[in-house]
Amino acid sequence: MLNIEKTTNASELTVALAGRLDTTTAPELEKEIKASLDGVTALIIDMAALDYISSAGLRVLLSAQKTMNKQGEMKVVHVNETIMEIFEVTGFSDILTIE
Amino acid sequence: MKIIRGIKIGGLQQKIFNLMLIFIIALIGAYAAVAAYQQKNLTAVVQRASAEQQASITAVSDQTMKTVLETSMSRSTALQAYIANDLFADVQTDVRTLQAFAEELFAHSGSFSAHPYAEPNPGNDGIPSAQIQHEEGVDPSDSEDLGLVANMSEVMLAMFESSDKLNSCFIATTDGCILFVDDRAGSYVSESGEVYPFAVRSRPWYTQAVEEGKLIFTGVELDAFTDIPGLVCAAPVYRDGELVAVVGADIFLTSISEYVQNTATEGSFLCVINEDGQVLFSPQKKGVFKAEISDQAADLRKNGSKELADFVTLSLSERTPLTLLTIDGKEYYLTGAPMETLGWSVISVVEKEITTQPTSAMLGQYEKISADALSAYELGAKQSAKTIAVLTAVILLLAIAGALFVAGRVVKPLEHMTRSINALGGSDQAFEMEDIYRTDDEIEILAESFASLSKRTRDYISQITEITAEKERIGTELALATRIQADMLPNIFPAFPDRPDFDIYATMDPAKEVGGDFYDFFLIDEKHLGLVMADVSGKGVPAALFMMISKILVQNFAMTGRSPAQVLQAVNNQICSNNREEMFVTVWFGVLDTETGIITAANAGHEYPVLMQSGGRFELLKDKHGFVIGAMDGVRYKEYELKLTQGSKLFLYTDGVPEATNAQNELFGTDRMLAALNEDPDTSPEGILRNVRAAVDGFVLEAEQFDDLTMLCLEYKGETSMTEICKELSVPAEVERLPELLSFLEQQLEEVGCPMKTQMQISVAAEEIFVNIANYAYAPGKGIATVRLTISRDPAIATITFIDRGTPFDPLKKEDPDVTLPAEERAIGGLGIYMTKKTMDEVFYEYKDGQNRLTLIKNLPYKEQGGKQA
Repeated sequence: MLNIEKTTNASELTVALAGRLDTTTAPELEKEIKASLDGVTALIIDMAALDYISSAGLRVLLSAQKTMNKQGEMKVVHVNETIMEIFEVTGFSDILTIE
Repeated sequence: MKIIRGIKIGGLQQKIFNLMLIFIIALIGAYAAVAAYQQKNLTAVVQRASAEQQASITAVSDQTMKTVLETSMSRSTALQAYIANDLFADVQTDVRTLQAFAEELFAHSGSFSAHPYAEPNPGNDGIPSAQIQHEEGVDPSDSEDLGLVANMSEVMLAMFESSDKLNSCFIATTDGCILFVDDRAGSYVSESGEVYPFAVRSRPWYTQAVEEGKLIFTGVELDAFTDIPGLVCAAPVYRDGELVAVVGADIFLTSISEYVQNTATEGSFLCVINEDGQVLFSPQKKGVFKAEISDQAADLRKNGSKELADFVTLSLSERTPLTLLTIDGKEYYLTGAPMETLGWSVISVVEKEITTQPTSAMLGQYEKISADALSAYELGAKQSAKTIAVLTAVILLLAIAGALFVAGRVVKPLEHMTRSINALGGSDQAFEMEDIYRTDDEIEILAESFASLSKRTRDYISQITEITAEKERIGTELALATRIQADMLPNIFPAFPDRPDFDIYATMDPAKEVGGDFYDFFLIDEKHLGLVMADVSGKGVPAALFMMISKILVQNFAMTGRSPAQVLQAVNNQICSNNREEMFVTVWFGVLDTETGIITAANAGHEYPVLMQSGGRFELLKDKHGFVIGAMDGVRYKEYELKLTQGSKLFLYTDGVPEATNAQNELFGTDRMLAALNEDPDTSPEGILRNVRAAVDGFVLEAEQFDDLTMLCLEYKGETSMTEICKELSVPAEVERLPELLSFLEQQLEEVGCPMKTQMQISVAAEEIFVNIANYAYAPGKGIATVRLTISRDPAIATITFIDRGTPFDPLKKEDPDVTLPAEERAIGGLGIYMTKKTMDEVFYEYKDGQNRLTLIKNLPYKEQGGKQA
């Protein structure tokens, strides 16, 4: 349901998400990100192919953002309109760096 | 149990040992107590006997002594008195003889010539001789009578010589001369040869005899020449009544004095007392019994106690009894006897102490013997105590050894048995009888019982194993049969997801592993739905097999397009042709025309169906019953028709529902069933069945059910527009079922052309609510979550209701998170509900009929958007 693709370039990690980020898939993403954040100073979450995000997904993003605040920066890119609205409703648009 | 040196502490061995030990110790204790008591008692007896004997000896001895003393003392005293008296009596006789002789002489003076006499001649000293003396100034030659009385010289000489008591004898004339005989002539003559004058007529004996005119004894006087105590016996001589001479004799009391002195032994003596109570002779040198010969000597009667005075007075007149007196602080036994001649008395004195000395000595001796005996006894007792102690120790040791041995003997087979039994393992091992158990007592019986039990158990185990294996096999097969049976029935819901014009839901819970009930539904063609509810007589595998046949036959005949009555007739004929077991089945069979809502049905002995016309209540439909299937060949069935309108529901069931029984043997009954159905008549068919099921469960509680519980509910929705949807999905409340739920919602929303964004908002909200239910509603158990989606066209609204029967909980009460905080301060959680509230147009919660119901309402904007969004 959720496809996670990681690309590492030096200390920059790009995580491309495709599909649905919901209660059932969020733990998978959380595990993937946690396992890869060592030494990463720039985390880019690519949401180009992400159709759906629920509060469980938001929690993973929040957790990742907190980690990256300590060791570098995090960007969320290619956010579609639907997901953007959720970010806005929940105040995540103020927390995340969205491009 | 602890094991120390092979002895199990707290084991049987120790218990037996303890018991024996206690017994032995008690025995020894009792013995020791008795021995100690006896020894103590014996000692006391010995001591008491000794004391008694001493007292008795003292008493007897005292008495005997007193008696002996009394007898001997008084006799002796009397004897002494007699002997003493005799002395004086002899003298008295002598003086009387002289008196008679002199009186004769004077009476016949004419017949006698003067007899020569002489002055004392010192040469005669030591030889008895007669001589004269005279008063100073008196000339013997002038004396008229001297020559006369000299005639008595020979007589007096003879008297003197024949008596050893006489000191001298004499005759005095009235003219102051005296003729006397003795053997101390020398003592009367001075060294110059002069004869000492002698005051004859002044002498006490002379005066006293003259005065008294009879024979007298003078008091004791010390001899003028020798200082030896003596006394004189004198008597006057008369001639024709005229005093002519005095005769007399004197005796030295040396013999008495010596005699008295000789009587003195330690603690006893004699004394002689005169008529004046004066002590004349006594060996005592001091005290009241000291002798003193003088006129001034003390009178015993005035010099001591009254008792002494009484005693002395008595002794002067008669023989006294033995008298005990305290004199000078000492106790004395006294006896007295009078000396009649002189009126004196002899008193015998014995210190009491002396008399008791033999007793004391005897007592001392006795005490010594007694003490020796006692100490010997005590020594013996100690010795015997030691012996007893040693003996006890030996007995105790023997007893301990014996107890250990006996206990060991008793316990050993038991221990061996315990080991053998503990070592048993597996079913093929058995407890074997061994020689060690052949003890001829309960142990042997126990061992035999064990052996027998062990053998029987082994046999039993093998039997059980077989039976269990058989049961296991049957169980497995039954489980398989149940699965096959369940699989035979349409059990996937929604059964016809592509048919919005009706909804159907059915359940079957067999009472045993496999049941005889069944339901069935199947599309005969596009517009005809066959509905079957049946109940086979009997239970278990036979009923299940019969049910299979019935089910297949009903469906097969139905698929041929026959009417329900014809189907039942055909099935009946088919079954009857080959029904040797004489089983039967009740069947309700109906065919729904999905376009008209008309059900054509026939009832072969089955329960009344329950019908709810739209907007109304569930009611029993008392249709016409035909005969059961399988009982009789050629039975004909009647058909009838029902008209269902939009929202009408038909409820079919087997007798397991109304005949569900509680612990009080009450039947659930059709009334309770109808009440359960009408609890929420507008809910989905699945909800209807759930309500009935809940009511039955709440009624029977723990009571075991014997009948299958099979139900089916059909809701007729009639011709429905694609733009107006009311759908329901029930899934186990588990997070894993989330995709199923979301795809159900999204599929419906998609169909009505809901924009993607709205779909996602609804999904996000639905996910939140469902995950909440999944995580908390039934925790830690499991349950079902139902989501009902209604979409109306005008106004364009989607209503999504989540229903669960879990713990009442209103998630909307949760406080909203502060979404303006920076990431660091954001709490993880609480976002979902917040998002739900934000994105939905209306969200509300209610708790009703034991259900949590959370409803989301969202206005659909697709009119403006038009068509589907990619």
